Amino acid sequence: MTLTVIKPGLQTTLQGAPFSGHRHLGMPAAGAADCLSLTLANHLVGKAPDAISLELTLDDAKFRVERPTGIALTGAATFLRINGDNRSLHELVHTQSGDEIHIGPADKACRSYLAIAEDISAQSLLGGQSTYLGAGLGGFEGRALQVGDSVQWIEGSASVTTGKQTPDSLRPVLSDKHIIRVTAGPEIPALNSYSQEIFFGRKWKVGMRANRMGLSLQGVPLEQETALYMQSAPVFPGTIQCPPDGEPFLLGPDAQTTGGYPRIAHVIRADRHLIGQLRPGSEIQFVKITNERATKIYRQKLSLLAPWLGTINLW
Amino acid sequence: MWQEVVSGLDSIAVQFDPARIAPQEAIDLFRQQLQQPQTATATQTAPITIPVCYDEAFALDRNWIAEKMGLSVEALLQWHSRQQFTVTMLGFMPGFTYLQCSEDIVEIGRLPKPRQKVAAGSIGIIGDQSCIYSFSSPGGWPIIGRTPIQTFDPGQDQPALLSANQLVSYQPISRAEFDIIAKGPSA
Repeated sequence: MTLTVIKPGLQTTLQGAPFSGHRHLGMPAAGAADCLSLTLANHLVGKAPDAISLELTLDDAKFRVERPTGIALTGAATFLRINGDNRSLHELVHTQSGDEIHIGPADKACRSYLAIAEDISAQSLLGGQSTYLGAGLGGFEGRALQVGDSVQWIEGSASVTTGKQTPDSLRPVLSDKHIIRVTAGPEIPALNSYSQEIFFGRKWKVGMRANRMGLSLQGVPLEQETALYMQSAPVFPGTIQCPPDGEPFLLGPDAQTTGGYPRIAHVIRADRHLIGQLRPGSEIQFVKITNERATKIYRQKLSLLAPWLGTINLW
Repeated sequence: MWQEVVSGLDSIAVQFDPARIAPQEAIDLFRQQLQQPQTATATQTAPITIPVCYDEAFALDRNWIAEKMGLSVEALLQWHSRQQFTVTMLGFMPGFTYLQCSEDIVEIGRLPKPRQKVAAGSIGIIGDQSCIYSFSSPGGWPIIGRTPIQTFDPGQDQPALLSANQLVSYQPISRAEFDIIAKGPSA
């Protein structure tokens, strides 16, 4: 026993790198919904950027460590307490056997990442270890953690030395108002010109139907030129589709691999980690940019992060 | 080069790393590759019969589908169980199967608002295209019945029961038979 779950929170799963190269079999990406916060947490405990950590959702959560280790918390949590004492997020924290870790709820944004210095044991399949809830695969028995679960780690796999803190300038700003940049999707002509203006011109609110698979978007309903019977086509995390009722939805990390509703836009890679921090009620303004601009923004973002994080990928 | 290569029913998409390759380079390369297609013979596995229960509790949209097709519900269910389908692709979720009906039928279309939860084993139909939901998931296909058979088992070497080009037909079963099969072999 190494990490015991006392209070699991709304949905705590083991997440790291997405599954890659198996979408053609219907296997989604899964992996951390906010890959930037995951990477920042892993860096503080000296691990690979996409190593498996605990992804927490909205609610507060409690764990007990059964062995000494180093931990780091990033993301939306309002506090980190060890045995009731406040500690900082974005900082390497050493814990002793029997310590209770209390992670505060998110009052803005949505997800937090608890990285542990040792390698966490997780179910391996198709070259990955992240949890894919839709099919009950990977992670901890393919499911969210429950009270009493023991997350195991590999003793002696840690490489922690000194106390590290994420530089202030690289700590993501938590907000429920986002500007998210997108490129136009292949079926954008399915919307009439008025609806295209509305989609890119007005603010959208995340609806109650929001999870790792996708988020509904509420606003002025979009009108389609004609009822379009399109053939099922590839979709990815970040694709925005619009069904005939005119209420679009944004696909998350657990997005299905193909879908049959018009693909009206796609969130650029540089901004895709923001999807993991959206919650019901979050406001989004979509800004349409070109593919070339999207690439430039992504490369700029990586070079901004490189002095602290080294060479990384976002997904 | 490509992180993912995913085909749809009449389209194909590739995913690449924009830190390494610019969009225009990717487009040019992809076009070039499409002009030099590699031919491969598709293997066809043995035809399979899948039990399906058309009970109203499972066939959530049978009235709607029947109306769209101009049939009575009884005629619709009889028609469905007499058709032969061919697997066109797997996608959407692990083991989710797309099938093509051998007969041309009217377009039924997807539901105006997708369901938040469609039960595993649900069989959808939107016209010539049919599908089998492998896991409980959100979905927009009108549902005509449900199979108790698992179409994806991650514990197997070949986790997907069905594969492209396989012929599929449906065997109607009662609710009682469904429950027996769903429960699995008793110890």
